[in-house]
Amino acid sequence: MIAAIVPAAGESRRMGRPKLILPIEGRPLIARVVSAFREGGAFGVVVVSPPANAPGSLFLRQEAEAAGARVVVPETQPVDMRASIERAIAELEQDPAVPRAVLLAPADSPGLTPSLVKRLIEAHRRTPRLIVVPSVNGRRGHPIALPWLDALAIRALPPDRGVNALIAQRGALVVDLEVDDEGALDDLDTPEQYARWEKHPAMTIKVRLFALARDCAGAPEVAIDLPAPATVGALKTALAQAHPALAPLMPSLMFAVDDSYASESTVIPPGAEVAAFPPVSGGGDAASLSPDSTMRTVLRPEMN
Amino acid sequence: MTEITLSPIDHNAVTERVRSNLAGAVCVFLGTVREMTGGRRTASLDYEEYPGMALKKMAELEAEARRKWPVIEAAIVHRIGHLELGEISVAVAVSCPHREESFEACKWLIDTLKQVVPIWKKELWADGAEEWVHPGLNEQPG
Repeated sequence: MIAAIVPAAGESRRMGRPKLILPIEGRPLIARVVSAFREGGAFGVVVVSPPANAPGSLFLRQEAEAAGARVVVPETQPVDMRASIERAIAELEQDPAVPRAVLLAPADSPGLTPSLVKRLIEAHRRTPRLIVVPSVNGRRGHPIALPWLDALAIRALPPDRGVNALIAQRGALVVDLEVDDEGALDDLDTPEQYARWEKHPAMTIKVRLFALARDCAGAPEVAIDLPAPATVGALKTALAQAHPALAPLMPSLMFAVDDSYASESTVIPPGAEVAAFPPVSGGGDAASLSPDSTMRTVLRPEMN
Repeated sequence: MTEITLSPIDHNAVTERVRSNLAGAVCVFLGTVREMTGGRRTASLDYEEYPGMALKKMAELEAEARRKWPVIEAAIVHRIGHLELGEISVAVAVSCPHREESFEACKWLIDTLKQVVPIWKKELWADGAEEWVHPGLNEQPG
């Protein structure tokens, strides 16, 4: 079981109003972040809200709970993000079974998607004893995956140090998960940043590629920007333009949205996991193709 | 029961999973790594899955088979990773009260699995070439 912690007690000083309840693509930011964790596979999501008397606290709590989070309401304003995280860890410690790991992201992560969460969980499962940090072109982002013992170690850090100090301390026990997901870096501190997200006419769709499609594109995942709402048909056109190596495969590529096969008219929801791949291995009339031969879609009659 | 595994498939264990006193018939299908394909020699195979979706589709197939036939137990196990000649890549076992329905359910499961479960195989030919096996791609205009 992997839990998620969302420290959401910040005072939004630079935004000038409670930022975590601002709508992003029609939903309050806090609900969007909680949903991304849950849909991505986090089992329990603990949100630490501001104290009950802080502006917007009640609405934040209601929205977070409606999205499926457990909300901890501290008596007094936590002194910093680390204090909120420690409060959430204490909450998880009360459970009959503690999680094997926690995912951690600041609540002002407008670009956090179920697909990114899922990738982190998969990476954690591959290396369950290591801290996993997503990075975009070498810049580290969120959410991070912390094995439970590392989460407990946060409270032993020297005063005035945050989770970054723990990551620095662990050194070689930290693994970077390279993602081409700019959302892993975004936060939402200023009215200018919000203005960008508020319009947000385009959506970035990450497409996972498998088998020959991955070999032809030379990458396990590619990102495509499209006006929202986008269909699979629009994605196919854009994908073939952005990655000409995939164009010859396009007529036979199959698309899946959130683990279900999709047709050209399928609308891709924000944050959905999209995958593209060639027909699967079976069938009596299978043709075998190498990346090179597929560029020419060569028929290999001896294979039939 | 559905499973995707990196380990060799124990076909006896798969069969035992579906045996039942309620069954009059147990049908087991094993897919194995074939050496010769159209005169060309295979050295080994690599199987790759789409994690998550592959297992989900296998579970959907089992549920659908249970709707179509009086299945008592069904077991679908697919191996992924590197397989040598003769090894079992997939096992489907179905128990039913009577043999006709167990044959039909088992055949439908393996045929449909090969069309909808996102698992791909790559031929590692004895001559050193590597090729993905993707049915239908050869029908596209060049």
